[in-house]
Amino acid sequence: MQNLPAGFETLEKFADGWVLPDAVARMTRRQGSSIEEIRGFYDAMLPQGEAALAYLRQYPLGALPPEGERLLKLMLALAEIAPAVEWYNGPQVTDGFPVQRIHYLRQIPDNIAQA
Amino acid sequence: MNKISNPPVPGIGLTAKYPEIGTGPVDTAIYHDPAIFAKEMEAIFKRSWYMIGRVEQVQKPGDFFTYELPSFRQAILVCRDRDGTVNAFHNVCTHRGNLVEHRASGHCNGLFTCRFHGWSFDLRGRLAGMRDEEGFFGADKSRLGLKKIPMDIWEGFIFVSPVDEPYQTLTEFLGEQGVDTAGYPWGACTQSYQFETEIGCNWKLAVDSPSEVYHIPVLHPNSAAPTMTASGNPHGRLLGVELKGPHRTNSHYSVLAEPKPVQKLAYVHAQAAQNVVQQDLEYEFPKGINPTRSPWWTVDLITFFPALSFTLSAHMYTAHQVWPLAANRCLYQQRVFVRPAQNAAQRFGQENTMVEFRDVVMEDLSTLERIQRALDTGQIKQFHYHDHELALRHQHKAVTDILALYDREQAG
Ligand code: FES
Ligand SMILES: [Fe+2]
Repeated sequence: MQNLPAGFETLEKFADGWVLPDAVARMTRRQGSSIEEIRGFYDAMLPQGEAALAYLRQYPLGALPPEGERLLKLMLALAEIAPAVEWYNGPQVTDGFPVQRIHYLRQIPDNIAQA
Repeated sequence: MNKISNPPVPGIGLTAKYPEIGTGPVDTAIYHDPAIFAKEMEAIFKRSWYMIGRVEQVQKPGDFFTYELPSFRQAILVCRDRDGTVNAFHNVCTHRGNLVEHRASGHCNGLFTCRFHGWSFDLRGRLAGMRDEEGFFGADKSRLGLKKIPMDIWEGFIFVSPVDEPYQTLTEFLGEQGVDTAGYPWGACTQSYQFETEIGCNWKLAVDSPSEVYHIPVLHPNSAAPTMTASGNPHGRLLGVELKGPHRTNSHYSVLAEPKPVQKLAYVHAQAAQNVVQQDLEYEFPKGINPTRSPWWTVDLITFFPALSFTLSAHMYTAHQVWPLAANRCLYQQRVFVRPAQNAAQRFGQENTMVEFRDVVMEDLSTLERIQRALDTGQIKQFHYHDHELALRHQHKAVTDILALYDREQAG
């Protein structure tokens, strides 16, 4: 079954684990992953990043086909895990305040038109 | 971030502009003494106004949101009525005190109905329905509407006062800082995230946390430091600090450092609302935004005493609020406001902005409970502030001045 738009076949194997409902789920996923797993996802996503954004730029939020929405969610997961790779070399903020103690009261929906 | 070669390194001398503020070490008692905390609640917090949301949260007549003021435990209901007016009430049913509206936000088709015995109130708070009214001994319905809470709006932000007779008006409370920062496109950032956490520290430590950037090279070595310290600002000095009564503004300096790969995707390909100054702004900075007008400006920290600060750049801002709970406990609230995404790619830029900011905040908050332990155990009795930690020295002075005035007031 094809989960992602054509051209993003190399990312198919990540759709199961990294397409998540919202920012809180992405944060939890990052905290519960090893840096090796995160880095595997990062390394696969990064070379496709520009192409993914070029694809996404064609659509307003709310008008993405299902496979496009999944690609958006993979990119949002990339946003969540990027600091783990680029700043901390670990899932958590180095010596940081535990992010588990943060409660989200409001998030921006992943795929609803904005005005 | 600005790509300009050889920017000048900001100098020492911020504190000297305000000779009344002093330069010596300060006593740390106000950071942990429970008696001082109790006095702060009377002299400062009961006399302040509190931002609880924005008018965009109640866009249409019937839209509502509820809120509980953390330090005061008062439940509030905000709604827009059919005339378009925003109303704020104590979210307390006048029958026997249950919450009138229990949902966080939503749309009401004209009546808020209490889920205890079914009394209902209209969008102007009037008691519309009293179930089995016959049994209420002729009670006067016109006197049993929802109680209004003092409310006013500044630049689309909804503020309330926790006391029935506010010590001053909202305009007086916001003072010169409110005048000087009005006119920034606050309402253009229609999208927001909000998160909060309880921290085992005095409220002032949480306010202090973003109020100095002396810590940037050390506490944020890989996150915020590269842009802040690039091109010869190794200590992360500020461009300037402006003190306005009890309020203040820090202006931050940055130059463009090479972004990390995902940052680059976000900044270049998804218009992330990062701290990028664009020359073609669609508005003019009001006097109090980017007050130094430096070409190396990126961010202001705009603080409204006692505990509301905006980290603000040309295209986005965040609002930090600290709610005192005890001498060594507070609730820290953060809202991240960004502009609407024009397409699905820009949604990635929004998420990048929020995640980066949140992780930097996690770095900032890491020190607070450790400092509080040193305060509570008496292991640190004085703080020594750097010239560029002027904002903290100013906060300390603002608090101690108000407490001294309050003492004189009480003594009659
Ligand atoms: S408390 Fe609300 S109807 Fe009784
Ligand atoms: Fe910081």
